[in-house]
Amino acid sequence: MPRQPFALTLKMWGFMAVRLLITLALGLAVGLITGRVFAGLFVTLLLYTGWQLANLFRLDHWLRHRSLMDPPILGGVWDDVVTQVVRLHRRKRYHKQRLLTVLHELRDSTAALPDGVIVLNRSGEIEWLNRMAAQLLQLRGRSDIGIRIDNLIRQPEFVQYLAGTDFSAPMVLQTGTAPETWLSLHALPYGEGRRMLLVRDVTRQTRLESMRKEFVANASHELRSPLTVISGYLETLATDPALDPQLAPPVAEMRRQADRMAAIIGDLLVLSRLEAKDAQVEGEPIDVAAMLALLRKDVLARPQRPATVSLDIDSADRLLGDDIEIHSAFANLVDNAAKYTPAEGTMTLRWWTDGAGAHFSVADTGPGIPAEAIPRLTERFYRVDAGRSRATGGSGLGLAIVKHVLQRHGGRLEIDSVEGRGSTFTCHFPARRIVPAPVDPTHS
Amino acid sequence: METTHLSQHISSRFNEDLEAVRADLLAMGGLVEEQLRRSLAALADADSALAGEVVRDDAKVNRMEVAIDEECLRILATRAPTAGDLRLIVAIIKAITDLERIGDEARKIANIALRLATLERPADRYREIRHLGRLVEGMVHDALDAFARMDVDAALRVAQHDRHVDEEYESIQRQCVTFMMEDPRQIRRTLDVTWAARALERVGDHATNIGEYVVYMVHGEDIRHTRIEEVETRIRPRADESDEA
Repeated sequence: MPRQPFALTLKMWGFMAVRLLITLALGLAVGLITGRVFAGLFVTLLLYTGWQLANLFRLDHWLRHRSLMDPPILGGVWDDVVTQVVRLHRRKRYHKQRLLTVLHELRDSTAALPDGVIVLNRSGEIEWLNRMAAQLLQLRGRSDIGIRIDNLIRQPEFVQYLAGTDFSAPMVLQTGTAPETWLSLHALPYGEGRRMLLVRDVTRQTRLESMRKEFVANASHELRSPLTVISGYLETLATDPALDPQLAPPVAEMRRQADRMAAIIGDLLVLSRLEAKDAQVEGEPIDVAAMLALLRKDVLARPQRPATVSLDIDSADRLLGDDIEIHSAFANLVDNAAKYTPAEGTMTLRWWTDGAGAHFSVADTGPGIPAEAIPRLTERFYRVDAGRSRATGGSGLGLAIVKHVLQRHGGRLEIDSVEGRGSTFTCHFPARRIVPAPVDPTHS
Repeated sequence: METTHLSQHISSRFNEDLEAVRADLLAMGGLVEEQLRRSLAALADADSALAGEVVRDDAKVNRMEVAIDEECLRILATRAPTAGDLRLIVAIIKAITDLERIGDEARKIANIALRLATLERPADRYREIRHLGRLVEGMVHDALDAFARMDVDAALRVAQHDRHVDEEYESIQRQCVTFMMEDPRQIRRTLDVTWAARALERVGDHATNIGEYVVYMVHGEDIRHTRIEEVETRIRPRADESDEA
């Protein structure tokens, strides 16, 4: 904005000062002529002040009714002031307009987002929502503003999710009947108690996911029958005395591979069953100490086994869970450790409970796992190195099963490993799964 | 407009109490909707585990009814609400009774589903019942939406749907009678289907009642036992006035 040059302002004030001096001189002259100097000065100054006050009044009046009136012409410095005010006002209006444009653009772009966005205030009332949110949740748009979101989206799971405090993950809500729609809703807290709700249509992903699960389950199931037939004939062939001795080694190898294939298919079926039941299990109290004693016996019965297999039971508490699932998870971990521990190595099974919950760990003195492989270890068919697990004949699904079983019990798997020294796999279960051991009347 | 009257109280505690009890009512409504949906799914899919869950969860609905009832009485006793607030509390006390009944009907359907799950399902998986169920589910949903939005128009539309439900119920009954005459061995199952249809028809009536409470709550006009056309003429001019205001 161009500013009034300082010299010009100075000239204007100079002009004002000169005018005041002339007025005073005039008053003095009149006073001298009439012989009453003070009265003359007084009257002139009074007139001068009155004139200035009138200007001030006009300025004030104009400022109050600025939108209706043109700026007044007051002369001298007064005009300068009016110009400044007009300029300030114009500048303010310009900035306001620019801010409004930006705000509108922002709102338009949010409205055009492919995801639904709803802004909720502290008490969960809708403050603003975009078109997509209204469409996905069948809200009415503007007229639903000010209504609590949980009054309109009443599904118990959603009401619970919104009333809770854990917004780290989105929740999936099924709405509509035939065709069903799955929506993912994610509340993001911000500011003081405010939340932004992101709504996304996940129908396609959910369908694909369930199709994938069904496919894996069906394919594994269908593969099992032909494999049983092949295994049956191979068994007959291997025990057939008329078999050409040259063919004996290939037939034995075929039997081994068929058994391995059966194991993989079995594990795939276990996994898809675990996936189908994604809710947490309640189950019954399991005597972990007894289960571990049996697992240890199994290891000791193997032809190739670690020299020492020690069992370290620190707690007689029971674990609340599904007997079969927990057994398969623990057996997988014990089996892995037994396979990777060299004949002269040591393997330790531990079971203990503390304030944080119940824990089961398997430690071995095997080759260990490189640090970069640890996060990927529970992926299906992941191999630390190509030769390793194929040589030992694993299915590549054991740790995935362990992970799923633990998830269904609210637990998690921790893996510590030092290459060349050994690994420790620990299962952590939450404290609410601990059931105190029943008191045995014969011992007390 | 009427929808904003809740936020005009000097005592914000009172406001919060009213809002909370209304939210509780609608949460109970959400649970009842879920119960109805699951009971129908259990019937269509012959899922006895799901039906068992519905029967078990009916206790939850009953507990909510008692809790909301107590809360309403507490507000009546300590706050002595008047006008619109009083009508809101009265409407809530009435609506929870209807919701609880809808919950009971859902439990009945679940019990029927438990019985029918042991028999062979017809090829159409009870198409008529599913159709009637969808209609009625929509009515309950719309009635509760109208309650949340204080929307008189939507509440009146619920009452109009009740006619379709009645027609549908009539036709299921006629069909069932024909089935029974054709094959007396099917009488047991066909009777169960009739009971399920009957339960759904009752749910429709309860949803209509909830719609009527919305009109009462907003306009202070009791429209029970009144024909829809008459209601329209009684409500309309007022609705227009309040729009202009």
